[in-house]
Amino acid sequence: MIPLRKKALLLQLFAALLVLSGCGDEKILERLGFIHTAGYELVPAENSGEPDKLRVTIAVPKADPEGKIKRETMTAVVATSKEARIELSRQTELSLVSGQLRSTLFGAALARKGIGEHIDTFVRDPAISQRVKITVVNGNVQHLLNKRYAEHPRPGQYIDRMLDKEAEAMMIPNVTLYDFTRDYYDDGIDAVAPIIREKGKDITIDGIALFQGDRYVARIDPDDSLIFAILRQNFKRGEMSINLNSLGYGKEKLLFSSMVSSRKIKVNRGENGGLSVQIRMLVKGSVLEYVGDLKIGEEEDRHKLEKRIAEYLTSNAQKMIDAMQRHKADSIGIGKHVRNSMSYTEWKSTNWDELYPNIEVRCSTEVVIKNFGKFM
Amino acid sequence: MALSKSEDNMDNMKPTLQHTLEEFKDCADILHRTLPETGIDMVFFEHLVGSDQFTRDVAIPFMDANGDDVKRLLNRSQYEEMNTNKPFIKAILEGAVAIFHNDRSYVVYVSKPEARSIQQSETEAIITGPHDSFNEVAEINMSLIRRRVKSSHLKSILLEVGEVTKTRVYVLYLDDLANMEYVNELQSRIEKIEIDSVLDGNMLVQYIDDFPNSIFPLIPTTERVDAAVSRLVAGRIIVVVDGSPSVISAPASFFEFFSSPDDYYQRWMLGTATRLLRFIAFIITVTFTAMYVSVTTFHYEMIPEDLLLTLTESRSRVPFPPIYEALLLEATIELLREAGARLPTKIGQTIGIVGGIVIGQAAVQAGLTSNILIIAVASSAIASFVIPSYVMSASIRLIRFGLIILASVLGNLGLMMGIVMVIIHLAGLTSLKASYLTPIAPMNVKDWRDVFIRSPFAWLKERPSMSKSPNMRRNKMKQ
Repeated sequence: MIPLRKKALLLQLFAALLVLSGCGDEKILERLGFIHTAGYELVPAENSGEPDKLRVTIAVPKADPEGKIKRETMTAVVATSKEARIELSRQTELSLVSGQLRSTLFGAALARKGIGEHIDTFVRDPAISQRVKITVVNGNVQHLLNKRYAEHPRPGQYIDRMLDKEAEAMMIPNVTLYDFTRDYYDDGIDAVAPIIREKGKDITIDGIALFQGDRYVARIDPDDSLIFAILRQNFKRGEMSINLNSLGYGKEKLLFSSMVSSRKIKVNRGENGGLSVQIRMLVKGSVLEYVGDLKIGEEEDRHKLEKRIAEYLTSNAQKMIDAMQRHKADSIGIGKHVRNSMSYTEWKSTNWDELYPNIEVRCSTEVVIKNFGKFM
Repeated sequence: MALSKSEDNMDNMKPTLQHTLEEFKDCADILHRTLPETGIDMVFFEHLVGSDQFTRDVAIPFMDANGDDVKRLLNRSQYEEMNTNKPFIKAILEGAVAIFHNDRSYVVYVSKPEARSIQQSETEAIITGPHDSFNEVAEINMSLIRRRVKSSHLKSILLEVGEVTKTRVYVLYLDDLANMEYVNELQSRIEKIEIDSVLDGNMLVQYIDDFPNSIFPLIPTTERVDAAVSRLVAGRIIVVVDGSPSVISAPASFFEFFSSPDDYYQRWMLGTATRLLRFIAFIITVTFTAMYVSVTTFHYEMIPEDLLLTLTESRSRVPFPPIYEALLLEATIELLREAGARLPTKIGQTIGIVGGIVIGQAAVQAGLTSNILIIAVASSAIASFVIPSYVMSASIRLIRFGLIILASVLGNLGLMMGIVMVIIHLAGLTSLKASYLTPIAPMNVKDWRDVFIRSPFAWLKERPSMSKSPNMRRNKMKQ
């Protein structure tokens, strides 16, 4: 049936399969150390002449049938991140692999210097997922990962899940390798990343880092993070507590929940060719908690409250944009809208980084209270 | 077996008592009775003839008879006069009583052969639907089919297979529905068989199928009457082999092995769901263990984070690489299955307990296998039993081993290569010269409604294209 030559070929193939079976890059599960979280931070050189060193800390979750050891952390102080792998593998019996990497942490000092080359390394490695999270750490990364949190046996996983959950509630942007590189390489927008820090026996969210290029330039306070979210994207789920005190309305406080927000950015051109940008935000939501003088069961008062919330959001958004312009960080992507409003050649001849701090950006907000509870 | 000339002459000679006794010399079970008053000699095999009926219908009438009565008796229609030796001898072998009277010889059939009663099929049991199934006697099987198909279009060809056993083989078809090319092809293939014995339908299949060296069965057999009839009506050809409850139907596609009669006895949505379940079971049984091996050997990236640590933990107790672990457990399951199949039900339960508890639980505790592998192997073993055709499910189980080895050598690449090789092989197969992968290759989307799903009967108005039936519409009568 099968010609002899073909048969011989098949036989050879089969023999090759058997003989070469040991030569593949076998990665047998229990002999691997899966790097779950990798942290990078700067170690200032002691002598001023030497270049700064890099401290790499990795967290490897461990499955030990008998023991109570849930994880292993390793640290190496090296000159480049590539060296780190060699240095780290000297410290373990497992072969370290990065295919299960979930999140990367960058020390604030390193982030201020620029993390472009590290990002580049991640993107280049096909084993590393596009969904790896990028986070800035306010404080010591090694300490953050090394510390024994009594209630969180695996800090890597703890951080990863906390970031996931917070991103879902829009308290921080969900920044993966994909998102970061997309914003990093795109023309009219700058990347952002969440910031975390140690807090007692826990780890906490410490705001949002704004990047300019690959450098961390400014930080947004966690209390303002929802205003940032409203400015940056449309979303369908959010919650914020608003203190109207700052606007001078007495002791009025409210919890605005189930927020659905959409924003439109409009680019106007003045007569002399100058640009001005109008950001219109529409926020709908329900009032869960209200402490104040208004009777929000009554329509008139409710509209009054809507106006006050809008005023609060507008003034804070305006402040935030001013700060961003000051730091030359176009984190909400105004540049993309400007780019879309002009021709390619015109955009190419525009130096957006120079132009951005000087254009006029105005915010306006409309707030709709969809419901406000039963007995009020 | 070439016959010598003298034997050939003998075959055409008139049968005589002396020659008959010569022929059956040394057969201890041949009986020779002589009735001297009437000059009658009877020769027959004791146990092929029902003795009560023989005494009542043959022995007593002849004992009581005088010369004229004997002639009258022998003129009755059940007494058949034989003029040549060969069919005469054959008749005795088939259980007839030979009667010699005045140089003339007659045969009379006084009893039907003994047979197992018509029972429920054990290999193809179903829950709803008819429970009768074929037994070992071709004539009974024929009667079961004829009783269901009351049509003069149901034609049958009688062939004989096996130089020694002379097994009767009936080829059945509906002459207005079956394609005569298939009938002729099948008939000529059966006629060409040169073998001393055919003992079962599944054995006959291997003499007539297109690729005897393929691992896949190309022609299905069934013990169920309703399944055989439904194929007959679909324009297929049925072959009944004497001595075997397995009835052959041809041609057939790969997918036919995944359908069961009760798909049609349930509501169509349930029928569809169970049919899809079988295809999923096929994929599970072929790939699950191989997947485990390839993932634990090469592709740690594929494992979800939450499963990773449990998997690593259970693997870390096992001293062997995944391939040996998997082969060990797969071999154990095959041992259990084979042992269970041979043993009577009462001892079979012990096997279940020994297999389930001792091997399942203890192997994990002893650190011989990981418990996730136990799940993988067990679910693929269970999935293999979902496939209704026993022959197909056995073939598929064997393929699994090839895939496991490929997966251990090249990971998912090897697994994929293996699957592709199986598909290429399948695509090259034919069943009675009809493509085995119909209706995928050649593509016939219309057929899919009775292959991958079981559509409502209102949609099933045409016979499957594979039958190449001259009469494709099933509901012609009403139009």
